[in-house]
Amino acid sequence: MKRLRRIFVKFYLLFANSKVEAELAREIGAHLALLEEEYLRQGMTSEDARRAARLAYGGVEQAKQLHRDERTFQGLGQIPQDIRYTLRQLRRSPGFTVTAILMLALGIGATTAIFSIVEGVLLRPLPFPDPDRLVILGDEGSHCASCTQSNVTAPDIRNYMRDTQSFSHLGGYRQRLFELSGAGDPAAVNATRMSGEVFAALAVPPVLGRTFTQQEDEEGQQVAVLSYDMWRSRFHGDANVLGSKILLYRKPYTVIGVMPRDFEFPLNPGNVRQSELWLPLSLQPEEFTAGSAASWNSRMVGRLKPGITVEQAQSDAERVAQATMRDYPAYMRSLRIHAVVTPLHEDTVGQARPLVRTLLFAVIVVLLIACANLAGLLLVRAIRRRREIAVRLALGVRAATLLRQAIVESMVLSITGGVIGLALAAGALRVGISLLPQTLPRVDEIGLDWPVMLFALGLALLTGFLCGLAPAFAAIGTSVNETLKEGGRTGTSGSGHARLRSALVVAEIAVALTLLTASGLLLRSFEKMRDVKLGFRPDNTLAALYVLPQQRYATQSAIDEFTRTLLNDVGQLPGVDAVGITSFLPAAGNSWNIAFTIEGYVSPQGAGLNMAAMSLVESDPFEALGIRVLRGRVFTESDNAGSQLVAIVNRKMAERYWPGQDPIGKRLRRGMPETSTPWMTVVGEIDDVKLESRDAETMPQVYQPVTQTVTSEGVFAKPGELSAADGWIILRSRMAPEEMQDTLRATVRKIDPQLPLYQMQTMEHAISTSEAPRRFNTVLISSFAIAAVLLSVLGIYGVIAFSVALREQEMAVRMALGGQRSEVILLILSSGAKLAAVGCGLGLLGAVATSRLLRSFLFEVSPFDPSVLSLSAIAMLLLALAASALPARRASSADPMLALRGE
Amino acid sequence: MSSKEKESMQLLQGTLDLIVLRTLATMGPQHAYQIATRLQQISDRLLNLNQGTLYPALMRLEQYGWIKGTWGRTESNREAKYYEITKAGQKALKEETQDWRRMSALVERFLLEEP
Repeated sequence: MKRLRRIFVKFYLLFANSKVEAELAREIGAHLALLEEEYLRQGMTSEDARRAARLAYGGVEQAKQLHRDERTFQGLGQIPQDIRYTLRQLRRSPGFTVTAILMLALGIGATTAIFSIVEGVLLRPLPFPDPDRLVILGDEGSHCASCTQSNVTAPDIRNYMRDTQSFSHLGGYRQRLFELSGAGDPAAVNATRMSGEVFAALAVPPVLGRTFTQQEDEEGQQVAVLSYDMWRSRFHGDANVLGSKILLYRKPYTVIGVMPRDFEFPLNPGNVRQSELWLPLSLQPEEFTAGSAASWNSRMVGRLKPGITVEQAQSDAERVAQATMRDYPAYMRSLRIHAVVTPLHEDTVGQARPLVRTLLFAVIVVLLIACANLAGLLLVRAIRRRREIAVRLALGVRAATLLRQAIVESMVLSITGGVIGLALAAGALRVGISLLPQTLPRVDEIGLDWPVMLFALGLALLTGFLCGLAPAFAAIGTSVNETLKEGGRTGTSGSGHARLRSALVVAEIAVALTLLTASGLLLRSFEKMRDVKLGFRPDNTLAALYVLPQQRYATQSAIDEFTRTLLNDVGQLPGVDAVGITSFLPAAGNSWNIAFTIEGYVSPQGAGLNMAAMSLVESDPFEALGIRVLRGRVFTESDNAGSQLVAIVNRKMAERYWPGQDPIGKRLRRGMPETSTPWMTVVGEIDDVKLESRDAETMPQVYQPVTQTVTSEGVFAKPGELSAADGWIILRSRMAPEEMQDTLRATVRKIDPQLPLYQMQTMEHAISTSEAPRRFNTVLISSFAIAAVLLSVLGIYGVIAFSVALREQEMAVRMALGGQRSEVILLILSSGAKLAAVGCGLGLLGAVATSRLLRSFLFEVSPFDPSVLSLSAIAMLLLALAASALPARRASSADPMLALRGE
Repeated sequence: MSSKEKESMQLLQGTLDLIVLRTLATMGPQHAYQIATRLQQISDRLLNLNQGTLYPALMRLEQYGWIKGTWGRTESNREAKYYEITKAGQKALKEETQDWRRMSALVERFLLEEP
């Protein structure tokens, strides 16, 4: 009972503190007055009486403190006062305060920005109901050894949908560029053809209208569902859009629905290829025959039935895959596939994980260094304030109070830093998201939301708490008697603190060096990549994609007529040196690999198919792209549909299949040995061209005149198949390629006013885009490394400068006794070098330990590259020495007389 | 602060509350100085106590509701805070006295057993 009452009273007194304090002071005053009166009565002088009263009473402040400790919950009541005290202390040393807060703001800000990427890309659930039940179903196998994702063919879609039992909904989809007209200017839009079941699997309702059903899909209904952005931008958010018609490749489609703003499917990396339209997949009969049946150009998504695991679904699908293989036509007999079921989330973010993890690792290193620096600075303050702390301890302050104050001080700093850091992160994200590489999925979901804010705040609190511990324990460890007895002397005391600070600095240097090595390795990789020959000359070259709509260009002669006019008109433009058309643009990363059979070549056992990248060309894109012809000739007008089938191969192809021989005159054909296709004769050999980014492996390449495509396809050819309906037009000019853009557009418009040109770009731009992911990693990791190195150099400077300040007298004495300036400098430098050397040793170990994380980002550089490791270590050592040189000079210039007299 | 000092403080604490209560019960309302003087008289100055250390005890007792402080005037017309034992305090004093007696008797018995 009495305890309970006391708890209430104590709690109440938290809020009535000043009143009670005044009462206490009054009571103590009265008490002292009575004592004094008594001593006066005993005949003392008033002076003596006052002194005697004080002695009898004991320490007034100690009594007050005891009273305070008894009367209320100690810690809680004092925190506002601690904060006031801290603010007063911080105002007194603005230099320290600003440095500390900025350091933390940078550390916390950078970490928060990177964490928001981690949160948006990796951690946040996918934007579908019950996203854990969504899976991707696809084939892996001999058709595609180097695929990064599992794809399916049109017959696969039919078979898996019909014969699996593990999915409540399962459907196929395929992304494709469509020419859109009938609403505003004609334009290229990204659309996804998909089974009606896909909408059912994703389970996201439209904001307007409805989605299409599986039945509509199978009936081949021409309906379209719009994305929210498309609806807003092209239809001005008009609710009457439902029922209106749009033209896709000049065929009419009825708009039946609009999806919500945050609906995105497929979840592609980057944000440029987001689907703007969804159409029924409506597989056509010809897609089940010939070459189409062997094109793994679609994907499948499904929702698992309740209670079915991914493994069960996979074995169910595998059964269907086996049946599919048994039914393969003769020309596909040698293909082997097996079904793979992957959670949709894993399929979406799996590739981005190493990059995001590395970034997080790098930024945490920077934060740790900032923390270590702050702890170091706070420790210095604690050592400087030893006398003050000793006095306070003598006056009865308890250890817990000192601990609390140290942590409050550090937390005030860290929370201020955290808030500024959050603002920095917001700014960085606004600018930074557009710079993110297009290999990162879900970039639209990156932002400062609640989880990220909580993360930043939590980080600030944790940082403050941990950084506060070191100085707190230093303060508690202060020995009252020793410190007060030392008087004014600032001897070389606190060796324990010095050791702690040294340990902090060693750790800083170690992690900074780890990061510096990583950055060095990435820079070296970037340099190596830049050294890789492209195989073509990107200067003064302009490229643009066109796709001829079947509605208008229904016959081969119509297509050929367009192509001939285009090549002729562009070739005659002033300033154009060369023009050509190719089906795949170098450096754009959209090459297409198919299987070849080479005459007289026997594949080694288990080698899989002989895959090569196939490009269909017209006119002379080799000259337009500046590709070197090594042997033989390029194609001419006379290589046409009626003449002998010809091909050009690249050096890699020639070396692999005809090593040490002249490839000219050798023969190869499309498909597997059992496929019946006609032979093509090699007429030329050209340089290896980088079809993907520079750091990707060069594939064997085969070039063929587009006019000979259908003949060379043999049984793969569809009845009535047209060729050359799309292509990249490439021109080399004497003028800057940017200036040619409008001319090219005008030329095409003259031929077909409705035909849009897509992705018009200079080749230099295409290369820069292909290099962007590596550039991004390199720039970001390097800037973190620079920040880390600067902070750790600041740290080592702080330690050395402070130890020099403490040892000023010692130095003066040394010099007074005849020590040389150079000896003093050497002494200080060597203490800095010792710290740096230990730190570098540990840092190299750290670099070895983190090599696994980094390996996937390196290009032709070993993670243990000796030149990078040694250069980084030497740079770190030199910087550390430079940081110690400044205090060393100061120490050596101390006037011995002044220092000796100073005491 | 050495551990030895801490121990003696603890020992004092429980007894100090009892002594103060007892003093107030027998002497009527007293101010802190009077209580301190009384302690010294009774203990024959054996208990050399800083008068300031009385305050936490007084405050604690007041928080338990066993004593009550009011401002008043001394004979020499100086202001002072007078503490008075409350009804709850009387009751508590009885219990605490019994407890103390039992405890000291117990300790005494142990000490007597010493050869």
